[in-house]
Amino acid sequence: MALPLPPGLTPPEVAFLCEMELVTVVPRQRLEGLALLGGQLPPLNPPHRTPLPLWLALLLKRQRRANIVPPPWLSPYSLEAILDHEIKHEDGFSPPPRLPHLPSNSLPFSPPFLPSSTADAAADALPYHWLELGEMLLEAAADDFEDPDNVRKLLRDLREVRMAKLRKGVEVLHAGGAIKMNGVGGMEVGEGRAFVGGVIDGLRKIAASREQQRKDRDREERENGYPGTAEDSDDDMDMQ
Amino acid sequence: MDIDDLLAEVDNDAVPQETRDLQELTRAWVAERVAPELLPWPDALMERVGGRIRRQIELVEDQTGNMDPKTNFKLIVIQTELERFKFLVRSFLRARIKKIDTHPLHTLSLHTSSPTLLSPSELQYLTQHQALLSQHYASSFLSQFPAQLQRLDDTAGGISMVDKPDEDAAVFCRALRDVGQVVVEGTDRRFEMVRGDVSVVRWSAVRRAVLGGDAELI
Repeated sequence: MALPLPPGLTPPEVAFLCEMELVTVVPRQRLEGLALLGGQLPPLNPPHRTPLPLWLALLLKRQRRANIVPPPWLSPYSLEAILDHEIKHEDGFSPPPRLPHLPSNSLPFSPPFLPSSTADAAADALPYHWLELGEMLLEAAADDFEDPDNVRKLLRDLREVRMAKLRKGVEVLHAGGAIKMNGVGGMEVGEGRAFVGGVIDGLRKIAASREQQRKDRDREERENGYPGTAEDSDDDMDMQ
Repeated sequence: MDIDDLLAEVDNDAVPQETRDLQELTRAWVAERVAPELLPWPDALMERVGGRIRRQIELVEDQTGNMDPKTNFKLIVIQTELERFKFLVRSFLRARIKKIDTHPLHTLSLHTSSPTLLSPSELQYLTQHQALLSQHYASSFLSQFPAQLQRLDDTAGGISMVDKPDEDAAVFCRALRDVGQVVVEGTDRRFEMVRGDVSVVRWSAVRRAVLGGDAELI
């Protein structure tokens, strides 16, 4: 009953997340609006472009009820520009798409719920689920691309350049963690998690005694400087 | 135009509750799969999602007899989505049960101090499972030990028998709002986390930001 998997998402789970991304479809058949669990589905009226979650777009595509419009960044022109950027700037991934305006008091949305892969998304940045989305679209809807082979080749190049960066990033790993990885992709997080996390945890265990000394010293300083907060008393209880 | 139309117009701008719940549920699922320790039970969210899933199942059961091909396809779409939701909820619950099973006594003591950690059924599972286990241990071997060695939560000698999850494990974390300065205790590391930043950092350093909704685990 309990989940027999280690912490972290498996590749199929990352793909499952990616299937919630919105893509733009051109329907070939009418479909009335449906009240789905994740919100109202807009009615499909050919040939009006409609944003749909990827899982539904793939279902419609497989049954030849719709065509999928590939997102602008998934074109040879954009991918070449991004690849060029990745090769020229060795010290980090290419920047992620710009975030939309943050609603002040409501829930902040994040991938896969940001419209970063619809037909009117930004063309100059790879979204979080770039690799999974690209692969899935190329597999199920290759005929909707103008030049699928070229796109496939560029995706592979991008993947290799970025994986090399991820591996090279090992040199900056540190026991305290705190490594910035802006622009990293969902599948890349899944692949790098065991290794990056393992190295950081291992380094931490090596430095554990020194850290413990420092923690004790910091706590003493704090207690002498000003009265301890509730958190301190919690820590003290652990020590007994 | 009456007041309902006006209200509907205002509502059109806002994201519907269903979509927000899906975002929240997805986030909770990923966090529970990734975080080293058990996170508080999202009571209101699971209540809403559970109710909706129940109603959708009833709808599917009502309409399954309908042989009209058009309704049939609609049902396929609804059922596909329903299965996706059920997977999310199930995987979420199973990830939690795994953590409860790994650290039962630790979880129980945490729940006693902050009663929002477990759902009522999880608490029932934990206490009854633990009661069965300790009864079994006692009858099969513990009763033959000297009395002072029979406890399962001994803290003698400064070492607690109760296992705890590794709260300093490294996690991948994304800031949803500007978090401000994050300090890694025991080291010189301190850094600013602004909206959109992705970092690999100790769970203990970002726990507060994640539980407060300012950051999410990925």
